[in-house]
Amino acid sequence: VKIFVVGAGQVGATVVEALHDEHELTVFDLDGERLEALTQRFDVHTYEGNGASRRVLSEAGVTAAGLLIACTSRDETNIVAAMISKAISARTTTVVRTTNPEYLEVWREGQLDVDFIVSSEVETAQAIATTIGVPAARQTDTFAEGQVQMVELDVAEKSDPAILGRPLREAPLPPDSRVAAVIRNNEATIPRGGEEIRPGDRIVVIGSPQAAKAWGELIAPGTEPVRDVVVFGAGRAGSAVARLLLEQGIGVRLIEASLERARLIAAELPEARVYNATGFDPDFLERERIADAQVAVFAMRDDLKNHFAAALAKVHGARFTIAIVRDAPSQEVFEYAGVDVTVNPRQITAEEIVRFAHDPRTQQVVMLEGDRFEVLDITTKRQSEYVGLAFKDMPIRGAVIGAIVRDGRAVFPRSDEVLRPGDRVIVFTASERVGDVERAL
Amino acid sequence: VRRTFLAVDVLGALNLIATLTGYLSVSTLIPAAVAIGYDEPLWPYLAAGAIVGGLAFLGARLTRGDRRLGAREGFLVVSGTWLCAAVLGALPYVLSGDPQLGRPIDAYFEAMSGFTTTGASVVVDYDELPRSLLLWRQLTQWLGGIGIVVLALAVLPRLRVGGRQILEHEMPGPEIESLRTRIGDTARRVSVLYLALSVALVTILLGLGFTGVDERMGVYNSFAHAMTTLPTGGFGTEGTSLAAFAPATQWVIVLFMAFAGANFALLYRAFVRRDPGAAVRDAEFRLYVTLLGLGSLVLLFVLAVEDVHGSDSPLRHGVFQAVSVMTTTGFATVDFSDWPILGAMTLIGLMFVGGSAGSTSGSVKVVRHLLLGKILRREVDQTMHPEVVAPIRLGRTVVDERTLRAVSSFILLYIGIFIVGAVLLAADSQRTGTELLVRDAIAASATTLGNGGPGMGFAGPYGSFEPFSDFSTIVLTGLMWLGRLEVLPIVVLLSRHYWRNA
Repeated sequence: VKIFVVGAGQVGATVVEALHDEHELTVFDLDGERLEALTQRFDVHTYEGNGASRRVLSEAGVTAAGLLIACTSRDETNIVAAMISKAISARTTTVVRTTNPEYLEVWREGQLDVDFIVSSEVETAQAIATTIGVPAARQTDTFAEGQVQMVELDVAEKSDPAILGRPLREAPLPPDSRVAAVIRNNEATIPRGGEEIRPGDRIVVIGSPQAAKAWGELIAPGTEPVRDVVVFGAGRAGSAVARLLLEQGIGVRLIEASLERARLIAAELPEARVYNATGFDPDFLERERIADAQVAVFAMRDDLKNHFAAALAKVHGARFTIAIVRDAPSQEVFEYAGVDVTVNPRQITAEEIVRFAHDPRTQQVVMLEGDRFEVLDITTKRQSEYVGLAFKDMPIRGAVIGAIVRDGRAVFPRSDEVLRPGDRVIVFTASERVGDVERAL
Repeated sequence: VRRTFLAVDVLGALNLIATLTGYLSVSTLIPAAVAIGYDEPLWPYLAAGAIVGGLAFLGARLTRGDRRLGAREGFLVVSGTWLCAAVLGALPYVLSGDPQLGRPIDAYFEAMSGFTTTGASVVVDYDELPRSLLLWRQLTQWLGGIGIVVLALAVLPRLRVGGRQILEHEMPGPEIESLRTRIGDTARRVSVLYLALSVALVTILLGLGFTGVDERMGVYNSFAHAMTTLPTGGFGTEGTSLAAFAPATQWVIVLFMAFAGANFALLYRAFVRRDPGAAVRDAEFRLYVTLLGLGSLVLLFVLAVEDVHGSDSPLRHGVFQAVSVMTTTGFATVDFSDWPILGAMTLIGLMFVGGSAGSTSGSVKVVRHLLLGKILRREVDQTMHPEVVAPIRLGRTVVDERTLRAVSSFILLYIGIFIVGAVLLAADSQRTGTELLVRDAIAASATTLGNGGPGMGFAGPYGSFEPFSDFSTIVLTGLMWLGRLEVLPIVVLLSRHYWRNA
């Protein structure tokens, strides 16, 4: 496929790196040197000019492009580039990167003529919130803007006896969730109601964030559920993390150096406790018992500040630290300082964007167990053989639907729910069946 | 005063005061008509109306504000209007040469008590007063009530008095920039509601009278009491206030006092826009109802345990007194002037609560107490955690820090003036040898500053403010004026920076 990439910054470069083998790429940027650097590493076309200009896009032949990825660091440039591309060539799919969650909201309400939007802040926040919310999970991922979660859990002897060795249909399982797979002796089966869970099994659960959390507590009852998280920095990233955690019922303390910003965020998030402090003052950390928090998240705008604050928090005895890292090289430095998890928003954004390049209908792909299983997020076609069928009547052919997203809202289907055309479905399947599943839906 | 040095459009303000007073002078025709009906002399009313009307007309002709009036002139307008209205109110008393109200200082006190809807009175023997004069007293409260609702909903918010701006968005309607048109617009909407509630109360009272439930509630008394209930005034026609009427009447009055102490913008939504949910969702309204209930409970407890009035219905008396004092109406069904200490303290405490902002009631008002409570709670929190940023909310909206500061300063200023008033009254009583207990000095200062009405001791609900010396009467008149205008518009006038730019 011919793909246009607008913006050759860090996200653009990561996208190019992932896609240049299979696709024919044209990269736009105002900065000739950046393009130069890209052409030296990869086999791509470059165009020095404004990717949000109609003349530039027409000249470059946007009508022949299947996909346009607008991933400069400026939201407005990205949106304008996508909208102009839509105006010239309606069949070109557009993907836009934004740092402002408000654009995501506007897009969800159908007010932006853009096919897909990827918000680095929201993606990053989801990654962090899931890590915190289900500490027992081996792997987690989110779908449908965080409304659906997938967690992979190891069942152990100490797991809640109420759900062990009992047919699933009789066990007291959390509502709004579904066991998508039981992996036993390296064999994955899609469980029916009569199947039971045993210690040593590995299970894949798809459900609401609350259900995922409840599952984590069922499977690993010893792990203390997280109730107290400190977030350093109440910028877009920090407040997005705080918002998601609060929605999951986790207590959040926010530390923000700018008084104006602190006031704003305190007004926006009434349940959060907001401090106007730098986070570099040992007296403050001591007085507010910051180190007693189960998790500390460092989401300030500056890597150096995050690094210093994280190290200081560690010195004061912080148990689990997560840092947002902007520059790829700093990741190692953070790990050297003892930070437990580092998250790179640009990396996450690039990965997210790359997924759209695969099948435009498939919004998200997660690999499990290496690459033996995948979770897909697919929009159903009208002619699909499953449309109009109730869930209980669907033949199980090595795939299971964990959740559907209808009109932007997640629905966790009961057995008599009927699949409708246009529903987005979250499907678990073995990798070799992906093609079949995509065709069937 | 050379005008060029003034930053305030004094002539324009005087023009508006004169115009408002001029309109008000027409109201003297009502007691004049009553005077004809009862065959009493009507010339004091006509003369008062003619004198004030003529002066106002002259004043309005001589002054012509060429600038549009803004918030700056608003302080002068509200302060001046109440002073002038009280002159109009006092003239009929003086002109009629009534032995109880004829002295100018007493007449001005009674008129100020009327237009500020306080309800404190120097009258001792109600049976001696001409019926028309008695009705004029009631009417001044009813007219004052309209003025107060407009003041509370349209004027004070724009003057940002004591954190009043939090209510600015409350009254549904278009934002109008000019003070003059804004007053007019709000007055029109609110007076319809005010009139409708008054008519409803008159109708119910007439009904009680005609059906024989309350034989003393005739046409005259129905009108007279409706006129002083909705403005939370409290002037009565009997020496024993509402005790002269049947329990059913008293319960009806309780209900309408509670209405009158609620925010009229909310009542407007509930009755006119058919959205009673707005009141239920309103934080101030919920606290208002809670406090009415709590006050009633404490008084019920006092009356039941201490056996103050025998077994005579402690529930009715407890509820009535609590609602009456808290809404700053000032009616009474029993003489509470010498209640046991817990009862007396509760009543004095309720005098400081007041009704809702945007009502006709006086005093501090529930919303300010609500905000002060939140401010104090945050202070306690920040003592331990100085870095905490915790915005204070009213319902879902965040209240800005300026408003919170204004609320705290208002309450401090209010309490300061109350103390000065109480000290002046106590000192003056010592000088003149009037028998005034400390409790009574406190109650008199609190009840006049809060526009409540009766105090304790000789100034209790069955008593009179007549024993106070002339100096004390002037102090009490000043307290009513200050309290009604929420202190600040008058205090602002004392500031040099109000008058001059440099």
